[in-house]
Amino acid sequence: MSIQHYQSIFGNAATEVRQFNTLFVIFLVVCAVMYVAVIAFLIAGIARRRRAAEANTVEEGRHHESDPAMRTGLIAWGAVVGTGLVALAIASFVADRSMANAAAHEKLSITVTGNQWWWDVQYNAADNSKMVRTANELHLPVGVPVRIMLKSNDVIHSFWVPSLAGKQDLIPGRDTDITITPQKVGIYRGQCAEYCGAEHAKMALVVDVDSYPDFIKWWQHQLQTAPKPTTPLALAGYNYVTSRNCSACHAIAGTPASATVGPDLTHLASRRTLAASMPMSEGNLYGWVADPQSIKPGTKMPTIGLEPNELHAVVAYLETLK
Amino acid sequence: MQRVACAYLVTLLCTAGAALTACHRSEQRQQYGSATVYGTAPAGNHAVAPPAASPADDGNWTMPSKDYAATRFSGLNQINPGNVSKLALSFTFSTATTHGYEAPPLVVNNTMYLITPFPNYLYALDLTKPGAPTKWVFKPKPVAASQGVACCDTVNRGAVYDNGKIFFNTLDGQTIAVDADSGQQVWRTQLGDIQKGETITMAPLVAGGKVLVGNSGGEMGVRGWVAALDEGSGKLAWRAFNTGPDKDVLIGSRFKPFYKSDQGKDLGVKTWPPEAWKIGGGTVWGWLSYDPETKLIYYGVGNPGPWNPDQRPGDNKWTTGVFARDVSTGEAVWFYQTTPHDLFDHDDINEIILADIPWNGQRRPVMFRPARAGFFYVQDRRTGQVLSAAPYGYVNGYRGVDLKTGQIIPNHDKDPKVGRVVRDICPAAPGLKDWNPSAFSPVTGLVYIPHNNLCMDFGAMQANYISGTPYVGADVKMYAGPGGNRGAFTAWDPIHQKKVWEIPEDLPLWSPALVTAGGVVFYGTMDGWFKAVDARTGKQLWQFKAGSGIIGQPISYKGPDGRQYIAFVAGVGGWAGAVVSAKMDTRDPTGALGFVNAVKDLPQKTTAGGMLYVFTLPR
Amino acid sequence: MSSRFRASLALLAVATLALAACDREERHSRAKPMGETVPAGTSPDTIWPGGTVPQTLDPRAKLYDNNAPAISQGQSLYSQMNCGGCHSHGGGGMGPALMDDEWRYGGRIDQIATSIAEGRPNGMPSWRSKLTEDQIWQLAAYVRSMSGQPSKDAVNSRADAMSATAPQTLTPRETVQTSDTAEQ
Repeated sequence: MSIQHYQSIFGNAATEVRQFNTLFVIFLVVCAVMYVAVIAFLIAGIARRRRAAEANTVEEGRHHESDPAMRTGLIAWGAVVGTGLVALAIASFVADRSMANAAAHEKLSITVTGNQWWWDVQYNAADNSKMVRTANELHLPVGVPVRIMLKSNDVIHSFWVPSLAGKQDLIPGRDTDITITPQKVGIYRGQCAEYCGAEHAKMALVVDVDSYPDFIKWWQHQLQTAPKPTTPLALAGYNYVTSRNCSACHAIAGTPASATVGPDLTHLASRRTLAASMPMSEGNLYGWVADPQSIKPGTKMPTIGLEPNELHAVVAYLETLK
Repeated sequence: MQRVACAYLVTLLCTAGAALTACHRSEQRQQYGSATVYGTAPAGNHAVAPPAASPADDGNWTMPSKDYAATRFSGLNQINPGNVSKLALSFTFSTATTHGYEAPPLVVNNTMYLITPFPNYLYALDLTKPGAPTKWVFKPKPVAASQGVACCDTVNRGAVYDNGKIFFNTLDGQTIAVDADSGQQVWRTQLGDIQKGETITMAPLVAGGKVLVGNSGGEMGVRGWVAALDEGSGKLAWRAFNTGPDKDVLIGSRFKPFYKSDQGKDLGVKTWPPEAWKIGGGTVWGWLSYDPETKLIYYGVGNPGPWNPDQRPGDNKWTTGVFARDVSTGEAVWFYQTTPHDLFDHDDINEIILADIPWNGQRRPVMFRPARAGFFYVQDRRTGQVLSAAPYGYVNGYRGVDLKTGQIIPNHDKDPKVGRVVRDICPAAPGLKDWNPSAFSPVTGLVYIPHNNLCMDFGAMQANYISGTPYVGADVKMYAGPGGNRGAFTAWDPIHQKKVWEIPEDLPLWSPALVTAGGVVFYGTMDGWFKAVDARTGKQLWQFKAGSGIIGQPISYKGPDGRQYIAFVAGVGGWAGAVVSAKMDTRDPTGALGFVNAVKDLPQKTTAGGMLYVFTLPR
Repeated sequence: MSSRFRASLALLAVATLALAACDREERHSRAKPMGETVPAGTSPDTIWPGGTVPQTLDPRAKLYDNNAPAISQGQSLYSQMNCGGCHSHGGGGMGPALMDDEWRYGGRIDQIATSIAEGRPNGMPSWRSKLTEDQIWQLAAYVRSMSGQPSKDAVNSRADAMSATAPQTLTPRETVQTSDTAEQ
């Protein structure tokens, strides 16, 4: 399955989107009816005026007596508008409350921390030793309400997966949250929706909605520590990664590298995207490790200036991190 | 006429106001250093030290805690409240170091031994000759880079004498045995790795033929452990970690924790996020006690890392708690976690005083622990059961201890939050009392506690782990607690769990206490006043201004001439005194993990030093 | 002069001033990696036997010393690389104070960069293998700002974490002196 690059807020892939769509349709219908009615009355009014002008009826500027038909008509119109507004208010309230209801009954809790310019994703579990940390990618089980706690380490970001839910800001110093109940298996794309700096445009994320058994399998796999390198090249890469610049910012479970500044790399090679912007591939990995500044200028990962043999070794090791 | 009356009134008011302010100031001066008595010492049936762990005083001081029960009680009684004001300086000695001096002098076989902070010189002074000339000095030459990974000044908490050898640790993680007569090295074992951020500052305990050593580095993301070396050869006999799987923690069939929350398999892994226990702290940088009857060692475990608790959800076993282990094999016998998922750096490494107390008509073997968290714990030392826990100062970070479940009751209003500052948390990170041990007198039945009265603001943030660098994740500012005094010396009745008398002090008290059979209590202040107070009433009897602040253990010994001597080394430093010993800038209140804000005035009140003072009564 | 002409003139003057300020904003995200340029700063003030050799300041100094993005990035790196754990917010601790006027190993930006890259004997770790040259110079630029060295329009006006010291825009400029002893 490939990433559904076409993002639509009118889909039906999640309960929240469906609720939003229902609400949208109600609003659309009510407002369309009102719009049509208003336009009709407007046209009628203009037409009648023309006819009146032709009939030479002179407006003397005197106050006409109230016309019972007019009064009824106005009251009826008021009632229509009132009913319409009340309907919209009720629809809005119901939609809002049902989304909050889902939030109260969440079965899975994820914490997403926004950084410039990547998403730190942590799966929370009652048994803390089963927590999982990954980056730029979410895996969700179908039909299960998921509550995503949103935090930020630096500036305001916004979490937006259009096919699944609306936007929610990530504000430093504040905790916000969003609830998603996916209903259709698939791979959806999301992105940061609040300008957060030079590389805001390259802060995307992928949401992979799986069946529940597949989701559990993914979680179990994420709990595995990184495999030991088997080839000499991968071993050289492991030595470089755990003793040089990489380990100042990155963590790979099962190795001495435990830094928290950058994304967790334990299962890097099994992710669908790299650096929140490119498809995962060997070529992109080479390019990114060799010179991140040319791909995302201003990103926090520096261009180290690896020697060619170091680059080969590092990429060889990173590719084993499935 | 009106103008004159007005002027007269204004003058009157101003004078009155000035008088009132002067009144208040002199009140404050009177307040610090003088005792308020709250009650009397228990008469008769009170706590005593267990005889096996606390033998009769032979006039020597062979280990920092004086005995295995950690009483710090001297059986000598020549000096008493009637004559202590006549104490005179007998001789002095400059240790040639200016970092915090936390160790006691040791006296055995008419020789005095001094272990200095980095570079950890070991001096032997001949007490039989006038002026106590140096017999020898042993220079272990620890690696200078170890100074860069020692969180709280480059201190050393003491050496130990046993069986003709002096044992001590160096900052760069070595344990060394030196022949007590000749000063020649017998063996040297490397236990800690500075590349991982480990240092060793604690005083070893020698018991059951083993030298027990623990590491430091809870602020550096190390994994804490306690190790036993064979006394004769220095070879590693066993090492028990304080985090990780049961086999590393030496938890086996003998392990029977009293409370349910401490029971389970591999809790040292399960109560942490994955891999976090490997860098989770739990060091052993404080005190160990030993019960020769049961052959159990008792020690407290340091804080989990990082300070930011959000990075390590879970109870974080086996940190901030107390272990009982078999001294020969190291296997764990019981554990009690004082603060599960510690929020405030309340290491549990304080002294563990062993005592026997009357309990329901019988004698019960217990331990007294004035803990960092602010509670004075009385626990059965066979099982770890908490018999009582009462606050010995102002505490608002916890609501109490539930004796049914053994759990401390948190106050969630004070939970640290990443990206925010939580204010007014008491006690502050150094706790209501830090490492500096209290003394217990079996004569009065009281525990003499030199401690702090500090609160803090705590701003948590994400910590990044890079081995060999700090792993903290918090900005802290400390300041005086209620009352305005930053320290207090409390005489505590451990059985009725109440204050008997208390002396408020301007500065935090970072010096250990000494109590003698003669009925005098000695302690020092951070600005250099060495004080003698009456053990029963707290009345100050005598004081002496030393050249530097006092944070080192005072001792009492019998000299070759049969007289009772009092000795201590004055050298301000440690966590509290780093602003002086490390020449810090007082304009940054978050310095020294927040301590600078609380002692900005210390550089005006004292300077760095390292001088031994020995007092005795004139002939 | 017509008012319109005067207005254009005023606008031109403002624009020129603005352009002059642009220098401090230049980001060097593609800085050359270590090893390809001249070595880092000289060791602290020392005796040159036979007479002082004129020392040329490393050309990178002017790229970083008053550079606002460099100081800003240095501020993030300072807390991420745990410098604050040893040096606090300039007050010192395990390491010496960075906000005062005493410099054991020199207070010029190239000397600070050398201290960070090479480490120092009493416990300063060596970051050469962990940080790029660009990052080390950014850190050095930020360290300088703690004692008020850079111009006030280049420094950050707010701290990222709990506000501890005066904002850097108000930090007084300390004289760069040597430490009184090269102590333990």
